[in-house]
Parts: sequence; C-alpha cells; structure tokens
Amino acid sequence: MQRIWAIATLTWKAAFRFRLFWVLTVLLLGSVVVLPLILKDDRTARGFTQLVLTYNLSVITTLLGLATVWLACGTLARDIEECQMQMVAVKPIARWQIWLGKWLGLVLLNAALLAVAGASVYALLQWRSNQLPPEQQAILRNEIFVARGSLKEPIPDLEQLAERVFKERIEKTPVPVSEHAALRRNLLEQLKAGAQVVTPGHPRRWIIDLGLRKNFLRDQPLFLRVKFHAVQTNASGLYLGLWQVGVPNKTQLWQDRKSMAAGTFHEFAVPPNLFDEEGKLTVVFVNGSVLTGTPTTLLFPLEDGFEVLYREGGFSLNFARGLAIILCWLALLAALGLSAASLLSFPVAAFFSVSLLIVALSGGTLSSVVAEGTVAGLDHETGAGAGGWIDAVLIPFFKVLLQVIHLVQGFSPVDALSTGRSITWGQLGLAFAQIVLFLGGLLAAAGILFFTRRELATAQGTQ
Amino acid sequence: MNRTLYKLALLLGAIALFIVGGFFQKQLNRQRSNPELNLSRVAPLDPDKAPPMLAFTTVALGSFRGLIANALWIRASDLQDEGKYFEMVQLADWITKLEPTFAQVWLVQAWNMAYNISVKFTDPADRWQWVQRGIELLRDEGLRYNPKEALVYRELAWFFQHKIGQNYDDAHVYYKTQWARAMTNVFGGDRPNFDELLHPQTDAAQRRVELLRNKFKMDPQQMQEVDKLYGPLEWRLPEAHAIYWASVGLGKVSTKDVLLLRRAIYQPLQLAVFRGRVVRLPADGLIETGPDLDKVRLANDGYEKMIAEEQTRKDAIQRAHRNFLREAIYLLYTYHRLGEANYWFNYLRAKYPDGVPPNLTLEEYAFEKLIGNLDTLSYDKTKAIIEGLIFQSYRSLAVGEEDRANGTMGMARQLWQYYRDKTAGFEKRVGLPPFEAMKASVVDLILKGESPLAPELIPVLRSRLGLPAPVAASTNTPPKKP
Repeated sequence: MQRIWAIATLTWKAAFRFRLFWVLTVLLLGSVVVLPLILKDDRTARGFTQLVLTYNLSVITTLLGLATVWLACGTLARDIEECQMQMVAVKPIARWQIWLGKWLGLVLLNAALLAVAGASVYALLQWRSNQLPPEQQAILRNEIFVARGSLKEPIPDLEQLAERVFKERIEKTPVPVSEHAALRRNLLEQLKAGAQVVTPGHPRRWIIDLGLRKNFLRDQPLFLRVKFHAVQTNASGLYLGLWQVGVPNKTQLWQDRKSMAAGTFHEFAVPPNLFDEEGKLTVVFVNGSVLTGTPTTLLFPLEDGFEVLYREGGFSLNFARGLAIILCWLALLAALGLSAASLLSFPVAAFFSVSLLIVALSGGTLSSVVAEGTVAGLDHETGAGAGGWIDAVLIPFFKVLLQVIHLVQGFSPVDALSTGRSITWGQLGLAFAQIVLFLGGLLAAAGILFFTRRELATAQGTQ
Repeated sequence: MNRTLYKLALLLGAIALFIVGGFFQKQLNRQRSNPELNLSRVAPLDPDKAPPMLAFTTVALGSFRGLIANALWIRASDLQDEGKYFEMVQLADWITKLEPTFAQVWLVQAWNMAYNISVKFTDPADRWQWVQRGIELLRDEGLRYNPKEALVYRELAWFFQHKIGQNYDDAHVYYKTQWARAMTNVFGGDRPNFDELLHPQTDAAQRRVELLRNKFKMDPQQMQEVDKLYGPLEWRLPEAHAIYWASVGLGKVSTKDVLLLRRAIYQPLQLAVFRGRVVRLPADGLIETGPDLDKVRLANDGYEKMIAEEQTRKDAIQRAHRNFLREAIYLLYTYHRLGEANYWFNYLRAKYPDGVPPNLTLEEYAFEKLIGNLDTLSYDKTKAIIEGLIFQSYRSLAVGEEDRANGTMGMARQLWQYYRDKTAGFEKRVGLPPFEAMKASVVDLILKGESPLAPELIPVLRSRLGLPAPVAASTNTPPKKP
C-alpha cells in the first residue's frame, strides 16, 4: 500500500507542479459564481435553485470528467513516451502498483476538487436561500432542500391475471387456436384499461402503505405526484378533478378541486397525518370533467401515474451522496483513461477515451436502434429492418453496450438533487459496486494487463 | 512535366476557380435573398442591435448552430415530457439566440411558455409567471430582432386578447387582476395621463415613464395616438394592449401583412364591448370587469371592414357579426340604454332578417334572451329570475353602475308586469307577490348578509338606498336564554 500511496503522491505533486489543480479550482469556482449570474430562470426561488443545482453540478461533472480523461491519458502515456516510467519501473514496485497508484492519485485529486466545488455550490445555495422570504424558504425546505422518498401502489401482475381470465374464457367459449394470441392481447389491454382509466364522474382509489414510515412521518406534509392522459382534449387543456385524501370517519379528511393539464407531472402538498393507524394512506380522485361540459375519460399510467413523496432525510447528506456518485463516475473515467494509455500513445488514448464517452452519451440513439432492431432504418411498408447482416452483428453488440451504459447512467444524482429526491445509501453502494468495482475493475484489469506486458524500453512515438 | 511547373499550374487553377466562384457567389447571394424564391428563412441580423453573444452564436458557430438548436429543442421537449420546467426559460433563450430572425422560433417558444407550461401549474401565481415569460420573450426580445415581423406583433396581441383576456384559463381573472395592478402602478391611477407621460415633471412621474418604456416597452406617444383612434381605451385591461401592439405593428410591417394586424385590432375592440371596463379592482381581491357599451359602433365598424376584406369565409364573419349584435342589443337593454338598443335592434333586423324572430319587440327579444321561450314561463322560474334581476340591480347600485342598476330593475319590473298580465285571473294559484314586496324581500336578505353580495358592499348599498346604519348591539344586552 505504501508503494501505491507513493505513486499517488507523485501524481498529486505532478498535478500541482503543472498548476493543473489550481487551474481546475479556479475554473470550477468561477463556474459556480458565474453561472447563477448568467442563467435565465423562471424567477421563482424554486426554479432558480433547481437551475443552479442542475447547471452547476453538470458543469462541474463535465469539467472534471474531461480533465480526468485528459490527465489519466497524459500521466501514464507521457511518462512512458518521455521514458520517465523506465526510471520508476526499475524500482522495487510492481506494474499493477504503479497503475493503481496513478488511479488512486487521480481519484483523490478529483475528490478534493469535487469537495471544493460541491462545498461552494452548497454554500451558495444556502446563502441565497437565507436571503429569501420565509414562505419561499419553506418551499425550498419542503421541495428542494430535502431528500424525499417515493411510494407507489404495487403494479398488479396483469399478465398473470390475463392468462387466468384467458383460460376461463376458452373453457367457457372455445376460440380457434389461431386467435389465442389476439385474445390474450385484448384481455391484457382490457385489464390494463380497468386499472388505469377513470371515466367521467367516477372515482379511482389508491391505497399506499407507509409501513413503519408512519412513525416518522407524523406532522410531516406529504406530496402527491400525479400524471394522467386525457382521451379527448378540450379547449382549455385542463381537466377538473376532486382529490380526497383520508377516509371519512376513520382519519382526518382533506379534499381539493383541481384543474390540471394532461400529459405532465403535477406535484402538490397534502396536509400531514391523513393516514390511518396502520399507516395506510387512502387517496381518491373523482373525474370531474362532467362538470365542465366536456366529459372526458382520464387515464393514470400504472408506472408513473401516481406516487407519494415523503421526507426521508436532510439535504446535506443527500447532496454528499450525490457528489459521491459523481465521484464514482470520475473514478471510472480515470480507469478508462489509464487503461487506454497503458496500451496506446497519448493522442490515440485521448481520442479513444473521448470517442467511448461520446458513444456512452449516445445512449438514446442506441436505444432507438435496438428498439427498431436495425441500424439502417425501417422499411415502412414491410415493417422489417433494412440492415441485413449488419443488423445481425451490431444489434446484439448494441444491446450489450446499452446494458453496460445503463450500469453507469442508471444513476442520476443531478436530477435527483434538483428535484429533492432521495439518493439512498443503497443507491450509493450499488453505484460504487457497479461503476467502480465492476466496470472500473474490468478496465483496471485490462489496463494493468496491458501495462504489465508493455515493453517500456522500446522506441516510443515521441522519440 | 516539371514538378515546379505542375505546382504552379495547380496554384493558378485554384486562383482561377476562386475568381469564378466569387462571380457565382454574388449571383447566388442575390438569388438567395430574392423573397419570391423563398430560399432563405433567415434574414440578416442587424449588427447594431445584436449583442456580442448573438453575434458569436450566429457567426462563429456557422452551420453548427442548427445542430445545437436541434439538440436544445430535443432537450426542451424531453424535459417538458418529464414535467421539469425550470430550464425552459434558459433553453428558450439559447434556442432563440441561435435562430434570432426565424420568427416561428420565437412564436413557438413564447406559446409554449404562455400556453403549454403555464397550465401545468395549479397555483395562479405560478401560471402568471409563465404567461409573463411568454409575453416578455416576444415583446422584449422577439421584436428587438424582428421589428418588421407581423407574426410576432400578432402573436403578442393574441396573448393579451386570448390568454389574459379570454376565460379559457381557470386563472384568467388572476392574470387580469395582476395586469391591471401593474398598469395602475405605471399610470399612477386608473387612466394614463398622456400629458404627464409625455412630459414628466416630477421624479415619480419620470420613474413611471421609465417603467413604461423600459419594462413594458410602450411608447406614450403611440399610446396616445391609439387611444385617440380607438378609445378612450381601458388601459388596465388586456384588450387595450392587444390593440396597442397590433397598431405598433401596423406602422412597421409590409403591406401584405396589414390585414393580419388589422384583425388583431378589430377583435379586441369587439371583445371590449363585452368586457372592456373595470367595474372593481379591490386592493386585496380580484378584478371585476363589465361591458364597455361605448365601443359598440367601433366594434361594428370593425366587423363591417372584416366582412368587406374577407374573400373566402365571409359567411363565418357575418354569423359572428350577427351574434355580436344580438349580444350587444341585450346588453344595451339591460344597461337601460334603450335608444341605442332600439337603433341596433333595427339595424340587426335590416342587416340580418333572420337575426331576430319576426314580430318580436325589443322588450320581448330581451326577455327571450334572458329566460328562453316566453310561452313556457312557470311561476317558480319567473319569481327566481325577477329576484335575481332585483339582486343584480342592487349589486350594480352598490358598485356604482347606475345604468345597469336602472336597466335590470326595469327589466325585473317589466317581466313582473308581463307575467301578471299573462296569469290574470289565476292570481290566487300562481300570482306573484307585489313588485315592491319582492324588492323589500331581496333588500332584507342583502342587509342580513344572506346574499352573495360582498360584505364590504353592504354599507355602500345601505347608503345608496338612504337606509339608516344598523344599530350596534348593546354590551349590556342580557345573554339569550339557552
């Protein structure tokens, strides 16, 4: 460990010697100060805070990410090209220790820079929020400067249910085998509609079990986050509904009439202590579109149509966990750069790493290619892909690539922090396991292998 | 061939191609700017008005700005689907900076904020922020880079006329109230004092003029001209601002777009007849608007011009004109402006013979508008309508609308008389109480606070009716027995 630590210290010293640390610090602090001055927000305290959090953390991640790739490629490749590595390699230190030492040095450097930048963002937000009137501060405290957990109604296994209904149906009324698939599909759609649709004048009930959380959610406001689609649009684009939380004669009752737009998320607070003694929160929505003269059926998607948000913890620790996930990303980038530099010269390693980053950021394009099943576009008449053998090779590769990308991008700390969502210790642990241990480990293994087998004394590109 | 000669030949060839290309370039540029060919959607940017950031994005980024703009559109669209709006102002700013002279970009971004995003919020104050952002994007920046673009003026006028003025949005009264308060603050009163706005003498007046010019981007001189031409307008209401911005555009756009903006003037004028007057603007409540019946003639002229200008859908505008006249006549009648009501009633009958049923008098027409078919009048329905009219009359009296108070009371009395004549001989079974008794009963309900009249208006009504103030309960009054 001492040897690894010695290499890490050398990496740090190099970063200071080349003034990289100070340049990055100035850039990061500059972005923290300048961004809030130039960004255009919606002039609400909430919007401004969300904007500053999103853009500042994104800029910090981008700056540090690019610097990490550049530095990781440079620190190893240039040491080899300029023959300094020969001086180190002849010392009693293994190649893997050199590699890990450099990686550790870069990760610690990033941790320090991230801590400085994160602390300044945190201080800026706290300072600005303290300047706000008390009611605005309360909004920020409840909606942004908080770690909110989410509860949803469990999604019923409709496919299993549809299968059961299907069997009952064909027992009663035999259907030709050729139409079984269509019948199954119809039954599934009917069941889905039954679970999602709220016809005019009718109610839809959700029962959310808070479980043990009921004990620490006393006197805490809860937030409902809802989204629905309208079967038929109206002139105003708004749909009236009555929201009722609680059970008459059993719990306190809260109700409110709200006109809401379709196809988007709405979030609103409900008063505390509306759940029963068992910790069950009952929410009823009555489709009031009949009262507006244009009765419209509304549809709440099972996946994201309704959820209850509750306070799970404070912002500070949540913010720290968010930064820790960003650090996991940076650690992976450091491993990527070092692994590339273990085999390639500095410019090629940098080009290779940045290209991989671009591919990883093109997850949306890859997803649509995989969804369509072709890289060459669909033939709209036949519905078949036009890629031929290229599709046969590339689509499985893209599927694997997407899964790898998802291991990294499945975490969105910036998004969670700007919307006051909780980043749990479990998520952080999973991020560390997936990003640093698994993917970083694979890259490290490959990098160490290349570096160990590399002949350092042969003529290098710059010689 | 000698290698040097070969290189020289290549160099000369390159120079020759550059020169030929230069000639073609001029010709191509001429063709590109020919409006008939419609090859270019992007007009050149005025370098004097473009800030450095805009000059950078339009010149330095070159063709890449299209790609960047697309990426920003996609991000804006994705965020909107996810219900995240806090980035929208910034994204709209970048997108419009990348394509500053493409009018549709401004229109779509502003519409998105004022119409699509605003309604996603349940709190009217949140909605109002987004409506304002939409207006500001067009007024403060869209017009700055597109001062001759009729579509931008028309859209701005439409936001005032439709988004704030119409009642499609649940929060429209809140928008009107906020706008009226902002304007009252700028004018230092209910109406703009144009002399003061044009020649401010005090610091306070100077500050108000600066607010008007810098924040609301309005020119007092132009306001005065618009007010003379179409007014006096109620500048606290959105219709006046719709007329103003369409009028500003009329002076700047090309002849082919004039029709578009004229309509943007006629329509709010017509709407002002129905809601162009501020009845009440309480300090801590919502605004109440009423009809501005002085604008009937101007609005009618607007319809006549629109019908004359329309080439394809004349019948649709004629239908709208007929309906407008029918409503205006009824309103004039309820406001006791019987002479004008009679004039427009005859006008309607002459212009659109099917506009009113034959053999119907003005009074009968007004009653039918109010209660439907006169032949199906029942006791309960008639009594309820008469009491409602009496209440409306007292309410109008309390808020200072004398004409409407007289009009509705007159209608109540006439309806009472009509019903009494119709049920003569059956008084015992379906006879109404005496009219004065019905009035007294409504007054009694109002004074007891058992009517929808706002509590602060009860003492006003008491005073207008010359009734004594209520006697305060003595503190020595013994408590009631349980």
